[in-house]
Amino acid sequence: MKKTVSRRNFLKGGLAGTAAVAVLKNKESQAAHDFEGYPEGMGVLVDLTRCVGCRSCEAACNKEQGLPEPAKPFTDYSVFDEIHHGQKRRTDETAYTVVNQYDVPELDHPLFRKIQCNHCQEPACLTSCFVNAYTKTPEGAVIYNSKVCVGCRTCMIACPFYIPTFKYSSAFNPRIMKCIFCYDTRLKDGKPPACVEACPQEALTFGKRTDLIDMGRQRIRNTPGKYVDHIYGEKEVGGTAWMYLSSVSFDKVGFDTHVPKEPILNSVKDFLAMVPMVLTIWPGLFVGFHLLATRKENIKKQEQENDEKEEQA
Amino acid sequence: MQTRKKILRTALALAIGGVLTTPAQVWTMDADDAPESVTIDSLATLYVPVEFDHALHVEITSCEQCHHHTTGGEVTDKNCARCHTTSGEADVVSCGECHESDRFHEKYLKTLEAPELYHIDKPGLKGAYHLNCVGCHQETGGPTGCQDCHTMTEAGEKLFDTHIKHSPAKGHSATGH
Amino acid sequence: MRIFSKERPEIPIVNHLKEDGTEWTIKEKLWLGLSLPEYKKQFFRNPVNWLMIGIFAIGVPLIMQRYLFGLGAVTHASNDYPWGLFLGFGLFAMVPLSASGFMLGTTVELFGRKDFHPIERLALLNGLLGYFFAVLFLEVDLGMPWRLPYPMFVSLGPAAVLFLVAWHVATYLTVQIAEVLPAFFEWIGWLKGKRIIRKMVLGLTIAGIILSTLHQGALGALFTYAPSKVHPLWLSVNFQWIHFFCSSIFAGLSMVIVSSTLIRNFMAWRCDDEFKDNLDKITMGLATGASYAMITYLIIKIVAVAHDQEWSYLLTGWGSYYMLELGVAVVLPMLMFAFGVRNQRLGLIRFAAFITVVGIVWNRLNTALVCYNWQLYQEIPHWKEVWITVTLYSLYFLTYRFIVYRLPIVYEWKGEK
Repeated sequence: MKKTVSRRNFLKGGLAGTAAVAVLKNKESQAAHDFEGYPEGMGVLVDLTRCVGCRSCEAACNKEQGLPEPAKPFTDYSVFDEIHHGQKRRTDETAYTVVNQYDVPELDHPLFRKIQCNHCQEPACLTSCFVNAYTKTPEGAVIYNSKVCVGCRTCMIACPFYIPTFKYSSAFNPRIMKCIFCYDTRLKDGKPPACVEACPQEALTFGKRTDLIDMGRQRIRNTPGKYVDHIYGEKEVGGTAWMYLSSVSFDKVGFDTHVPKEPILNSVKDFLAMVPMVLTIWPGLFVGFHLLATRKENIKKQEQENDEKEEQA
Repeated sequence: MQTRKKILRTALALAIGGVLTTPAQVWTMDADDAPESVTIDSLATLYVPVEFDHALHVEITSCEQCHHHTTGGEVTDKNCARCHTTSGEADVVSCGECHESDRFHEKYLKTLEAPELYHIDKPGLKGAYHLNCVGCHQETGGPTGCQDCHTMTEAGEKLFDTHIKHSPAKGHSATGH
Repeated sequence: MRIFSKERPEIPIVNHLKEDGTEWTIKEKLWLGLSLPEYKKQFFRNPVNWLMIGIFAIGVPLIMQRYLFGLGAVTHASNDYPWGLFLGFGLFAMVPLSASGFMLGTTVELFGRKDFHPIERLALLNGLLGYFFAVLFLEVDLGMPWRLPYPMFVSLGPAAVLFLVAWHVATYLTVQIAEVLPAFFEWIGWLKGKRIIRKMVLGLTIAGIILSTLHQGALGALFTYAPSKVHPLWLSVNFQWIHFFCSSIFAGLSMVIVSSTLIRNFMAWRCDDEFKDNLDKITMGLATGASYAMITYLIIKIVAVAHDQEWSYLLTGWGSYYMLELGVAVVLPMLMFAFGVRNQRLGLIRFAAFITVVGIVWNRLNTALVCYNWQLYQEIPHWKEVWITVTLYSLYFLTYRFIVYRLPIVYEWKGEK
């Protein structure tokens, strides 16, 4: 009698303990499947051979997004010599985009590279966010909702391009600061972001992502020797909306050429796939262990009870 | 709209061409026909308009260096040469007629989806100017700084925050660097 | 604690009733049966408390500074290093060190190993407090700590690993509270509550194993979001969650050995004979378990290096550091455990447990800080960040001690049960 009671109690407790989690896990595996990106998504092709480092894009971004006044005017090119922790300038809470200068030995002139959010097809920031603060819009932008953000900064860990930044200076109203492709003010109305419009050299070409890939291929094909045969961002981390052309190998101009060729989420999938298995197999397995381990004890108990009954009888 | 313009221009060009050129080179423009100076003001918001000394540049280089195949001379650009070796002089040669001033306008982007093979990557007007001018100036030692060609307007100064006076010594110890 | 002498046979309190038959009030129980002056006297006589006062005197204003002026004011957390000591130590190291709860719960309740019973409650308490303080560390580190319940109720991102961590830690914290409650119920004398929990214990234990497997693993899986940032030797995309789960087993067991050792040496007055007499045997049992987990861990670590073809990394400076970590934090204590168990050298085992605990902290800090951004530069935490971490850990220590002083954790309640 005692045995059955304890077993039923186990079922009750066990189910209560796992049911909630099981429901949630189902959702999880659904959300983890492949996503190819929106077909009509827009993008920008950045041509490093065209950029002259005028910083117009930085200035335009600063005004468009209402970011704080910079320490140096945007006409000051000494910023290219700034080094922090051995690194060139990066995005921070005051700058969504930054241009850096690279001196490449085989060229007689420097190259410039603009960095900003690359607006991944399958963004790591989005997939790592546990409050769903990020959205990939059909227009191609990866936007952020500061109203639900908890400030855990996992997106900053997950972003392979070191783009999202955090307003560490604020105690009461901190948030992630990052390029949103001018979604609110421009992209959603079909307009190019401010930086693209400001670029005098058309180093930034705005268009449908699929068209931009064609365009990039055409540039590589039509001007042999001008470009390395690679569009950075076409395949990197599963594809990005912002892509790059360069005349020298990408690692020489500050790109991380070791980022995976598939979405960051894929490297997490091993673990996510294991979750439902643990949820379904563990309970049975451990109840089994329990019954096996306590078998002798239970038999002994039953014998004792029988003995007692016999004695009473 | 555009086609009507084209017809008008063609008629005009034919008329002028008929008068001024020899029959053998009926489709080739003469450098002397070009304007002395061109005011480039189509995009003047952040910078004052550029007074482009066309005559000076005619002396330095050939027409097709800037005007591609449109002036009817020998087509040097390999990509133009694919189709335009025999196209002859175009109806118009001014940059703004071919290069879109609103390059990334939704409507214009839509037209790019048409299976036009080689012109999907045609730069906009601003891009065309700068790519052409700066590209050449870099090679020939011409001026390349933004304000070497056009001075900033007030709006430009505002955008670039030029009022900020950054002194590296500010905030550092008296010894400075 | 010389106050607990033969002249005061009624304390330490182990029963509801005083010598004269009257009941202890809750207030008296809280003061450990001492008068206020006596309590004060014993408190200020303890040098550890003076150390704590010193830590808090600076730590509390620093925590206030953090909440008034933001994380930037007290940490070196940056856009390159979003996570610092608060998470590197407070979350990633505290959680594996708290795996003891589910380990011993499973051993005693599921596998029926009643011989480990005397240490079960300590293990459960160790687990509960570890998790509770991990959440506290998180609350210091989160940009918007007031939004802690958001991932639960407001805006759900169920595909994220951190979502799983949040839910599992929250659920498991509840489970652990339930598991430790019987000790509290005995102490306040509410037996009905204890009986209710008793009926659920098997379910709770199994929920504990599931949740622990998943979130210990999930903490590792969090780093698989940064496959190009963490040094390949410390990150194996395929095995990371197993590494974290497996190492949490010996981490939790070693933490219980360390904690029980401290309690037996410095709180002997609080331990009953059952605890004291069985501790050596139990410690050897735990050490055996830990050494088995360690050899398993070591094998999976090597398998991961082989699987990812990372042998060449071992020849670099990072490789030497990696082998140093494995050697000092795993191989050495593993051998000490094995040797200690075979030759009944309890001192050696306890020392090995201490090394293991430090080693796990080292491993987690390596993964989260030292070898993170290995291609960029190394971040050195701000002294204030270190001090706040120490302050919170001191609070953990004080809470731990406060509860062990009072609740029947390392002694058996002599009253009704």
